[in-house]
Amino acid sequence: MPEAGRETGNRGMLAVDPPHLSWSSSPMDVFAPTGNLYAGAIWPEVVVTLTLLLVLVVDLVGGSAARKSLPALSIFGLIGALVTLVLQWQQPQLESFLGSFAADPISILFRGLVVGTAVLTVMMAERYIAQSGAPTGEFYVLLLTATLGGMFLSGATDLILVFVSLETLGIASYLMAGYTKRDPRSSEAALKYLLIGASSTAIFLYGMSLLYGLSGGQTKLEAIASSMGDAGLAGIIALVLCIGGIGFKLAAVPFHQWTPDVYEGSPTPVVAFLSVGSKAAGFALAVRFLATVFPAMTEEWRAVLSVLAILTMILGNVVAIAQTRLKRLLAYSSIGQAGFVLIGLVAGTEAGYASLIFYLMVYLVMNLGAFLCVTLFSLKTGTDEISEYSGLYQKDPFLTLCLSICLLSLGGLPPLAGFFGKLYLFWAGWQAGAYTLVLVGLVTSVISIYYYVRVVKTIVVKEPQEMSVSVQNYPETNWQAEGMQALRVGLVLTLVATIFAGILSNPLFTLSTQAVEQSPFLGFPTAQAFIPQSARLQVAVKGSLGSSAQTGEG
Amino acid sequence: MTLGEGVQLVTFVVLSAMAIGFALGVVWAPSIVYSGFLLGGVFLSMAGLYLLLNADFVAAAQVLIYVGAVNVLILFAIMLVNRRYTFAPLKLGWLRNGVTAVVCLGLFALLTAMALNTPWQLEPIQPTSSVLVMGGHFFREYLLPFELASVLLLMALIGAIVLARREFVIPQAGEGDLSLLERARPQLESESERQAELVSTR
Amino acid sequence: MLQLQFFLVVAAVLFCIGIYGLIVSRNAIRVLMSIELMLNAVNLNFMAFSNFVDSAMIRGQVFSVFVITVAAAEAAVGLAIVLGIYRNRATIDMESFNLLKW
Repeated sequence: MPEAGRETGNRGMLAVDPPHLSWSSSPMDVFAPTGNLYAGAIWPEVVVTLTLLLVLVVDLVGGSAARKSLPALSIFGLIGALVTLVLQWQQPQLESFLGSFAADPISILFRGLVVGTAVLTVMMAERYIAQSGAPTGEFYVLLLTATLGGMFLSGATDLILVFVSLETLGIASYLMAGYTKRDPRSSEAALKYLLIGASSTAIFLYGMSLLYGLSGGQTKLEAIASSMGDAGLAGIIALVLCIGGIGFKLAAVPFHQWTPDVYEGSPTPVVAFLSVGSKAAGFALAVRFLATVFPAMTEEWRAVLSVLAILTMILGNVVAIAQTRLKRLLAYSSIGQAGFVLIGLVAGTEAGYASLIFYLMVYLVMNLGAFLCVTLFSLKTGTDEISEYSGLYQKDPFLTLCLSICLLSLGGLPPLAGFFGKLYLFWAGWQAGAYTLVLVGLVTSVISIYYYVRVVKTIVVKEPQEMSVSVQNYPETNWQAEGMQALRVGLVLTLVATIFAGILSNPLFTLSTQAVEQSPFLGFPTAQAFIPQSARLQVAVKGSLGSSAQTGEG
Repeated sequence: MTLGEGVQLVTFVVLSAMAIGFALGVVWAPSIVYSGFLLGGVFLSMAGLYLLLNADFVAAAQVLIYVGAVNVLILFAIMLVNRRYTFAPLKLGWLRNGVTAVVCLGLFALLTAMALNTPWQLEPIQPTSSVLVMGGHFFREYLLPFELASVLLLMALIGAIVLARREFVIPQAGEGDLSLLERARPQLESESERQAELVSTR
Repeated sequence: MLQLQFFLVVAAVLFCIGIYGLIVSRNAIRVLMSIELMLNAVNLNFMAFSNFVDSAMIRGQVFSVFVITVAAAEAAVGLAIVLGIYRNRATIDMESFNLLKW
């Protein structure tokens, strides 16, 4: 046995022998070690898991004072995970755990997005959970588990890991959606989310089983692609079923039905996490899954996705106009935003993927900023009715500033971050020849500016008599209360990031281009060519910007 | 056809007829309690089919987990919410059922055509010890999902308890009563109040 | 002789029954049961492929063990949520869950 171990141990990670266990060969082969797992690839996940267990134990044995420290503990753990991610950036691990997980640059960036969302969500949730009276510790356990699922999903290169991490993210999200359990709306949201989510997983699984069969028994994404060959009708069906499963996570039309209900019925911090973190993980899955498994059917999946993108942009942005509640408006607008991001995926070029990642980074700060503001307002007034916001400008200028900046950035007004994100996306789409998509995108973003600006107009209304009842009775902000400091830190962070991410977009964009170049599964040259390319894009974008950016910079 | 093959074929036909019949029963049974028990029948016949496919371990797992845990859990839930429901009939409900049935039949035709027409890469069946091979898989290339599944189960356990637990001390309405901080829309409020009255009068 | 296609067709039947039940059922618990049917159909697919296409490595069997695990967790969570909504609304009729429609 030890000899056998030494023998197979030196063959390296790829030499996993098929253990042909007909009884003639030694059954002991199964137990032979099989080389390096490269377990360092999951350091960030390990940190999150340890934090999760620590939170659980402290919540269990600690007193009420210890319990107050749980949010801080979660934030520290998540920041620790971010630090390990940054360290990992220096040494990406293209394959680990015998090919089931990749810590390549794209996976690192997406995992960073998920963790970043989780940090801001904790900041948002502390006060919200305390005020709603729900149990504290379990919420952070669920949130951290969802984060863990999203992180694994971003780097999964094996069908089984894709499935298990998707479900970890999904089940944790269902539970969080129903967390305010005495509220019928919350229960309903959780039930709808669970039923639609579970059935979409079943559909996705059916597609996976077809892939498994077509490839002659492979579960690794790359092995499936190489041994699938020309799959014909079965391949098309598998593709459609898989897009159905992924589309649910992206909330792309027509898989979006759950979104408005879940967004309105769930606690606001959960909505924030779902609209950014869960969606980012879904995009990571979409990029990796479609590009790796279906390279032979690129035309087909691009065609399907561009139809989805057009529907998503139109429906999300048009229905958002009719909304009277800010949470629901943000729900529909986040559907529309996902449509914009899909342009990058459909383009399929280097610039397309890079602008997709860049837009998600920008979207993270501005959308979470908007949700932080919504949380703060509903903490103080107990409503998210848009008409109740009127005149807020006179009572709370800070909140007004944050909300206006975030909403205008979501609408894509220069020189805020969202403008540059959209510009890169449309630019990449145009270069790739997706003219229809870009035109639809332009028209719908004009529509989106309309409804965002309408909210801002309501807030900054001047006349005192137009002030709403909630704003007239607006209480002083007590920043000393439990969880308010975290909320304030989150607000300032997102505000600063939303303002400056646009003007200082170069490093972020270089980062995403670099990630796309250095992730081999996308198949772009890893040469240094990205510097002139991105520089060219920068020049072109700056040139088309004109004076507005300069005033912003000044 | 040898005797063994004949027996296999007959077993297959019986088991799949049972699985399909019970599954139809789950969907159509008038009482939800019947559905619950018929679901157990589906699970058991699936375990039989797995045995025909040389999967002894999974067949055992199917019986233990699906029949022993999931099905019992579903029966518990049925009893906990046990009331005889007479659902108010829907306008155009028959139309919806009909359209759904047609769509499902179409989907079935599509999937069957695909199953019959695709040239699957068949291999001669090799006898293996499924437990040994699966154990090797679990601790080799599927180590990561295996460990992640433990976190998933822990979280599902905690979350299910938190949601299903009855709160004995119910705080005053308004502050910290475990509901959303945003007020419900007016028509929703009246709706939920009506529901609350229903609960109290029951 | 048993063939792969037999099992695939049975799985397709079960899957379609599951989808039918998912859309038509008005009892939330029956909807959950329909989802279990769909997952079982998927499992049968995996097992059939595992036996006929991949009988040396039987990865499909490993996959279906994971599916069973996750399905159990999902069923537990689903029933907890159904209990919660039953307490709040005193019904489990899917058609009455329309608080959130616009």
